[in-house]
Amino acid sequence: MAAGTASIGAPRPRPPWLESAIGQGLALIAAFAIAIAVGSLIVVLYGESPLTVYGAMLRFAFKDVTSVGTILSIATPLIFAALAVSVCFKGGLFNIGVEGQFLVGMVTASWAALYLDFLPGLLHLIAVLLFACLGGMIYAAVPGILKVKTGAHEVVTTIMMNGIAVSVVAYALNGPLKFTKAPPGQNVDLRTDIFEPSALVPDLGHLFGVEPSAHLSWLFPIAIVAAVVVWVLFRRMRLGYEARAIGSSAGSARAGGISIGVVQIKLFLISGALAGLIGMQQVLGERGALVQNYEAQLGFTGIAVAFLGQNNPIGIVFAAILWAVLSRGETALQIDTDVPREFVIILQGILIFCVVVVYQVARRRLARLQLQRAGAEVGLRDTAAPEDEGRKDD
Amino acid sequence: MDLGDIGAAVRIAFTYFTILYLTGLGGLFSERSGIVNIGLEGLMVVGTVTGAAGVAVFAGPAPEGMGLGAGGVVLGLLFGALCGALFASVHAVATINFRVDHIVSGVVINLVAIGLARFLSYIFFEQATQSDPGGPHLGRVDIPLLSDIPGGLGNAFRNLSPVFLFAVFLVVPVTFALYRTRWGLRLRSAGENPEATRSLGVAVAPLRWQGVLLSGALAGLSGAFLSVEVVGNWREGQTLGLGFIALAALILSNWDPRRLMFAAFLFGFAQAIPLRLDDAPIISALPPQFINMIPYVVTIVAIAGFVAKVRPPAAAGRAYEGAGGG
Repeated sequence: MAAGTASIGAPRPRPPWLESAIGQGLALIAAFAIAIAVGSLIVVLYGESPLTVYGAMLRFAFKDVTSVGTILSIATPLIFAALAVSVCFKGGLFNIGVEGQFLVGMVTASWAALYLDFLPGLLHLIAVLLFACLGGMIYAAVPGILKVKTGAHEVVTTIMMNGIAVSVVAYALNGPLKFTKAPPGQNVDLRTDIFEPSALVPDLGHLFGVEPSAHLSWLFPIAIVAAVVVWVLFRRMRLGYEARAIGSSAGSARAGGISIGVVQIKLFLISGALAGLIGMQQVLGERGALVQNYEAQLGFTGIAVAFLGQNNPIGIVFAAILWAVLSRGETALQIDTDVPREFVIILQGILIFCVVVVYQVARRRLARLQLQRAGAEVGLRDTAAPEDEGRKDD
Repeated sequence: MDLGDIGAAVRIAFTYFTILYLTGLGGLFSERSGIVNIGLEGLMVVGTVTGAAGVAVFAGPAPEGMGLGAGGVVLGLLFGALCGALFASVHAVATINFRVDHIVSGVVINLVAIGLARFLSYIFFEQATQSDPGGPHLGRVDIPLLSDIPGGLGNAFRNLSPVFLFAVFLVVPVTFALYRTRWGLRLRSAGENPEATRSLGVAVAPLRWQGVLLSGALAGLSGAFLSVEVVGNWREGQTLGLGFIALAALILSNWDPRRLMFAAFLFGFAQAIPLRLDDAPIISALPPQFINMIPYVVTIVAIAGFVAKVRPPAAAGRAYEGAGGG
C-alpha cells in the first residue's frame, strides 16, 4: 500500500534517456577528474607544476587558427576509426581488425586513384572513396563470415588479418602499384605514382584562414556526416535496433526472431566501409600518393577513441578532437617543459582506463536504481530488497 | 633447401615455442580461473622493456650495472615477470573488482602497454623506442644425443637458450598443480562454476586474482625472454602479435597445458617458415610478402577449423557478481 501512495505524491520521475545522459555525463566528469589527478601526480614527480604543463599543452594546441585546423585534421581519421569500431561494438563484436581494413582500403583506393583517372572531375574522387570503402568491406567480411560460419572469435582472426594487411600493402607497393614515373636521377622512397588532382580531396581550411600545412580537408565534414549517419542507423533503423538487441543479450535477440549471423555480417561490412576511409586523410588529403612509411596504428587508436566516446557517434566526434588536442600538446611538452612527450600517451591511457571503469560502475548503479524504482512502481518493493541485500556481499 | 635448413627452422620454432608456450600458459591460468585475458600481448610488451632494463641493471657491466653475470640475467628475466604481474593487476582490478567486460579491459591493457613501454623505455634507456643492442644473455646449451643427429637435423638441438628447457619442463609442475592439487581444482572450478565454488565456502575473487597475476608473470617472462634472450635488446613492436597467436594456441589446445605444447610448436614452426624455409618447394614460388603472411594464415585456418571442437571454461568472460567479497 505504501508503494501506491508514494508514486502519486512524488514528482514526475525524469525520463530514462535524460537519466542515463546525466549518469554518463557525471561518469565522464569523474573519469576526467581522476585521470587529470593521476597525470598531475606524474608531472609533480618530474618536478614540474601540473598547471604549467596542462597550460602549455592547451596554449600550444589553441595558439592560432592553423593549430586548430591541424587538430581537426588529426581528428578526421580517428573519427572514422572510432565509428568503425563502435558499429561492431554495438552488436557485441570486437572489430580489432579496423587497422587491417584501413590498410587494405588505402590499397584499393590507390588503385582506383591510379587506374580510374579517366573519370571526369568529382566522379573520380567519388570512385576512389567508394573503392576505399569497398576494400575495407571485403577485408572485414572475412572475419565476419568466419565468425558466423565457424565460430572463430573475431578478436583472434582480425588481429591475424591485421598482420596479413601489412604484407598486402608491402606487396602492392613493391608490385602492382609501384611508381613508374620517378623523377629522373633522383632516389625515390617506395611509393605509388603521384595521383591526379581529380582524385584528391580539396582543401577546406583556406576558407577559414587555416594554412594549407594543416591539411584540413573536406574529409572532416564527411567524417561528421558519417557520425550522423551512424547515429541515425542505430537510433532510427531496424538494423540498429537488431544490433543493439544482440549486443545487450544475444539469447533474447534470437528468441525475438533476429537472425544474428546476418546482422553480424552486416555490421562487419559497415564497420569495414568506415575503416576504409581512415587512410584517406593521409593518402588523398596530405601526401597525394600511398607511401611506404604511411602512418599506421590509427585503427588501434580508434578503439581508444571509441571507448572514450562511449560508442556514441556524437561522443566519438568530441573524443577524437580531445585525443587530437592531447596529441598536438605533445610538441608543447618538448618545447616548454622537462616532462617527456611520452607523458601524453600515458595520460591518454589513464584516461581510457578511468572512463572504462567509471562508466561500468555508473552503469551498474543506474541499472540498480532503475530496477528499484520499477519494483517500487509495481508495488514490489519488498522483492527488490533481497536483491539489494545480496549486493552487500560486494 | 636441405636438411640443415629444416634443422635451423626447427630451432627457430623452438624459440617461438618458448614465447608462445609461456604466454599461452599465462592465458591458461587466467582463463581457467574465469578471466578472459586478451591483454597477453600488452603484458608481453611490458615484459620486453622491463626485462631488458632488469638485465641491464643486474647483469650489465660494472659502472651502471651490477655485473652479476648469469645470475643477473635470471634476475632481470624475473624482473620482467614481476612487472608483467604488476601490470596484469590492472586487468584484475578492472575485471574482478569493477567487473568491466573482460575483452574491453584486455583491449585497454594492450593499448596502454604501448605507451607505457615507451614511457618506461624513456626512463630506463633515455630513448623511447629501443635499448642498446648486444646486452648480456644466458649461455647457450646443446642437448646431449639429439644435437649429434647427422645431416643437419642436429642443428635444431644446438645453441638453445636454457629458458627453452625451462618452458619444456614447465609442463610437469603446471599439469600437476592444475589437475592434482586442491588449489588447481579450486582454480578450475572458479572458471567453470563460480557460484558452486562459492557455495562450498571457497572465495572466488582471490583465485581469479591468482590466475590473472600468474598470466601477467608468465607473459612478462615470455616478453623478457624475447627481448633479452632472442633479440638482445628491446625494440618497440618486437612482440609482433605473438600474444594473440599464443591466445590462438590456447584455444587450439582446448585449455590443456599438455596439448598447448603441440599448439605452441605448430604456430612456432609456422613463424619459422618465412625465416628459414622460404626456398622450399611451392613456398618459393610465392612473392616474399605472401610468405610473410603464412604464420597468420595458419593461425586463422587452425582457429576456424578447430574452434567448434573445443570448449572454453564455462564461466570465462562472465562477471561473478559476488566477486568483490567472496
